[in-house]
Amino acid sequence: MNGVVELQIWQFLSIYLLLIVVLVIFLKMRLSQTKRLLISSLMMTIQLIAAGFVLTYIFENPHPVYTMIYLSAMLIFASYQVVGKNKILNRKFKLAIVLSLSTSGAVVLIMFVGVIVGVSMFNPQYTIPLGGMIIGNAMTGINLGLKNFSESISTQRNKLENLLNLGVDPKRILLPHVNQALETALMPTINSMMGMGIIFLPGMMTGQILSGTIPTTAILYQIAIMIAICSTVCLAVFGSLIFGYRTLYNDRKQFVSFLQDS
Amino acid sequence: MNIIETEAITFAGILNYPPVQIPEGSVTFLTGDSGSGKTTFLRLLNSTLTPVSGRVFYRGKDTGFEDPLEIRQKMLLTGQSVYLFDTTIRDNFRMYYEYRDLKPPSDEFIKEYLSLCIAPFPITSSCNTLSGGERQRVYLSIFLSFGADAFLLDEPTSALDRNLSDSVFSNIVSFAKKSNISLVVVSHDTELVRKYAEYEVSLSKRVMV
Repeated sequence: MNGVVELQIWQFLSIYLLLIVVLVIFLKMRLSQTKRLLISSLMMTIQLIAAGFVLTYIFENPHPVYTMIYLSAMLIFASYQVVGKNKILNRKFKLAIVLSLSTSGAVVLIMFVGVIVGVSMFNPQYTIPLGGMIIGNAMTGINLGLKNFSESISTQRNKLENLLNLGVDPKRILLPHVNQALETALMPTINSMMGMGIIFLPGMMTGQILSGTIPTTAILYQIAIMIAICSTVCLAVFGSLIFGYRTLYNDRKQFVSFLQDS
Repeated sequence: MNIIETEAITFAGILNYPPVQIPEGSVTFLTGDSGSGKTTFLRLLNSTLTPVSGRVFYRGKDTGFEDPLEIRQKMLLTGQSVYLFDTTIRDNFRMYYEYRDLKPPSDEFIKEYLSLCIAPFPITSSCNTLSGGERQRVYLSIFLSFGADAFLLDEPTSALDRNLSDSVFSNIVSFAKKSNISLVVVSHDTELVRKYAEYEVSLSKRVMV
């Protein structure tokens, strides 16, 4: 097997032609997200170029501190994304989310890098890309779970209040909504596991095969990362909701606002 | 003896209530303009809200120190917004009973309470197909069937026409009298107030100084 073919810059740039096609469609159809498309493509390009340089530097000068800083930056950015998207949450709920995301991400990553791969946690070549996949998926899962949870409790406000008046424990009233949100958050991961290997070759495996890894090794990595992602999403969403939903009622068993403390 | 007594309670900085005493077994109406805090007052009574100042007593005990779930079961509040599950009448009873950790009620029991609220629909009919007024009566039947020491009824017959409203309310009053249950009722229906009120608490919009 050969290593990956180096991309020539002018060949690489031609891929942007496809983006122009998308842009033309957006403009022609007067889609509202045209500006976002432009900004996000631009951000992606800049962020990845920056990441490329930073990673090259870290790989050439590996130091535990660099690896940890990079990982922390990923966690902070992911937390910010989740909490920022759900501005209305009360402060304790946000804290539950950030802690669940960081703890579950860290535990699964340590397990993956330290036990499954069996290299040092501070090895940037493994810790950084695997950390990114794990934390990124946990972030998406939490976003999905929280969206479902907040929508279901705000649309069913009337049900919640009637059950509260009936003298039902708020915990009992809210738990079905927690369960439903957890299932919703895990759905995409479960679905993608179903189609994996048949419908599509997943990103990490594709990357390894392109760079010359034999497919059987790439498959082992892929299976491991899928299970890691699934469990991180589950733990992160479970933690966020199970610690978060308790902030929605007080010791007098009254609902307190789901909204930000005023 | 008074079943419910309140000090001059205040809530959220804008609502301040006069002290209220509600005698046991009585039919007491809360009246006043919209925005005078009638619904909030009921919620302060059943501990789903806590007053900013002032205490609420249930049978002489400060509700602030009682188990709130027990208080709510003893002073059962039926809200202005009806909630029924998307299923049959019988299953609605069952689901509400399950939330209260009670065994599903028998069909005879269900029918008895449906007829109390003049809701003589087949118990297998789906609640989705019922009209607003029919839903309100089924909802009342379910809540009344739980029994309580006092019922706090927030606009219980708002979706019913005058005659039906009167018949349903008359049934509820005789049901309450039979079991010595106190009724605290919020209603805009002046006819109901005139006919059934033994006591009336009139709340006016008061602004705190």
